[in-house]
Amino acid sequence: MFCIKRQRVVALLLLAVLVAASFISGCGQKTVQENQTANDDEQLMTIRVAKQFGLVYAPLMVAEKIDFFSKYGLKVEWLTLGSGGAVREAMASNELDAAFMGIPPYLIGWDKGLPAKIAAGYCVIPVSLVTYDENINTLEDFKAEHKIALPSPGSIQHILLSMALEKQLGDPNALDDNLVALPHPDGAQAMLAKKDVVAHFTTPPYLFEELEQPGYKVVLDGFDAFGQDFNFNVALVTESYHDSNPLGYAAFVQGLNDAMNWVNENKEETAKLLAPEFQIDEEKLLKYLTAEGVNYTTAPYGLMGFADFMQKAGYISKVPGSLSEIAWENILAQVGKREGGPCTLETIQWSK
Amino acid sequence: MRDFVSKLAFILVLAIVWELIRLTGRYPALLFPGIGSIASALWMERVDLIGRTLFSLRIIGIGLVTAVSLAMLATFMSFGGKIFAEVISDLMAIMHPLPGIAILPVAILWFGIGVRAILFVIVFSALWPLINHFYTGFRSIPINQLEVGRNLGLTGWELALKVMLPASFPHILSGLRTGWARAWQASVAAELVFGAAGGQGGLGWYLYKKRFMMETPGVFAGMLIIVLIGIGVEYLIFAGIENRTVRKWKTIIN
Repeated sequence: MFCIKRQRVVALLLLAVLVAASFISGCGQKTVQENQTANDDEQLMTIRVAKQFGLVYAPLMVAEKIDFFSKYGLKVEWLTLGSGGAVREAMASNELDAAFMGIPPYLIGWDKGLPAKIAAGYCVIPVSLVTYDENINTLEDFKAEHKIALPSPGSIQHILLSMALEKQLGDPNALDDNLVALPHPDGAQAMLAKKDVVAHFTTPPYLFEELEQPGYKVVLDGFDAFGQDFNFNVALVTESYHDSNPLGYAAFVQGLNDAMNWVNENKEETAKLLAPEFQIDEEKLLKYLTAEGVNYTTAPYGLMGFADFMQKAGYISKVPGSLSEIAWENILAQVGKREGGPCTLETIQWSK
Repeated sequence: MRDFVSKLAFILVLAIVWELIRLTGRYPALLFPGIGSIASALWMERVDLIGRTLFSLRIIGIGLVTAVSLAMLATFMSFGGKIFAEVISDLMAIMHPLPGIAILPVAILWFGIGVRAILFVIVFSALWPLINHFYTGFRSIPINQLEVGRNLGLTGWELALKVMLPASFPHILSGLRTGWARAWQASVAAELVFGAAGGQGGLGWYLYKKRFMMETPGVFAGMLIIVLIGIGVEYLIFAGIENRTVRKWKTIIN
């Protein structure tokens, strides 16, 4: 009997060693593969970028279609990932070099040691809480049974709602039990069917589509919640890519600038180019691209403004001491450092 | 006791190997948190974790009771008539290979976002393996045992309770085991895929939230709880039932 038990322990030990060995050897294979790809693409630098969907990504979609990067000697490998959470995990495990996400999700990652910093602001776009319930006009009108859809906990929509709740009701978590985590398209579908949810915190094109329906209105505007404009997303580049590939980094930032500028100069062509992708007609897309409040820009807005609130409300444990902790040098140079008190560009990095 | 020691030794070795891999520094702490930080996440989150666990256990309990009742009904019906038997075995062939999580979109359409959709997925996931095991169990009752029972004058419920149930109990028990595992998986998976509605959510929703807050130690803490509950139910409930029934009756060899 005892003999059998000892055999079992030995077997289990062997299993444990095997698991450990597979972990370590798996890692070794990866480095070999990385070296190979580096050799293959000696002429053209590459960067692995996560692609997402939404009106805010129009410049990115244009950049992919027209290819704004190859003239700088950069080849972009576009990857599609399921959610913001997956994008962050891919960055942490070095499967991605660059990605786009809201400032709050980035700060959550930064707080946990995500080795990436902001390489560019990415658009200023309206984001609002919409409802079809005629009895709901302010945040105070939400009752326990009123469900609010937003993309995920810790998303920019969630943090904006918490900020407004703190300002208006004194409790950032007042509506936490009302929240339903739904991706934008599912949330919009639930809203249009008037099923399950009464309110949706969302962005264009879903925001515009919902507001086109009779009786749908904005309960809370994101810019009001924050106090001024903020980047809906920021472009992040990992520390390892930034440090080991400065030319690729510069090419990526410049290509992004070119794409952004092209969209601003050619909104009609943009609508023509992207209408099939969004599966809406050209005129509608043009209307969305030129809607009030939409600003395709790489300038930094409100980069530091979420951190104080997020720390106070317990979403992050520390606040960046200065912009240099969360942004790369091109952003720092843009914002500048005025002697004798902050300049306009410095003050707009904070919320009001 | 020796069994317990060998299991403890295994867990200890696993923990040491884990820490050694972490200490090599090949993986960032974000992906590979230390045992210490997982333990502290467990402790810090204990109130939330207990609440989530109770919630999960409650909906799984409701789901399992529903699924077992339905499975029993289906099994009895399929012995009641040839048509039922055919219909149920056809249904089994269609539904059993379908993963419970695959019907989540339909569940949301029918029942809306919330507990009822998750409950539907749980019942669906557990129902087919339960029917499968119950049906096999009743069919594999040795004919001579039934004859002996009938010769002793047992009929109807008495025959079912005193002969059929003990004879088919090994299958029923393994059906319950599979059903429980499927229900547990379904509840966690459903909540992980689409989150939860409002404050109502179980351990899957806990994992979902921790993932989005990038609290990797919290994710591992939630996973640990799921594993511990699995082990607990196996050793405290199923092993107990087994010892008191099929082992005592000697219907199984080992």
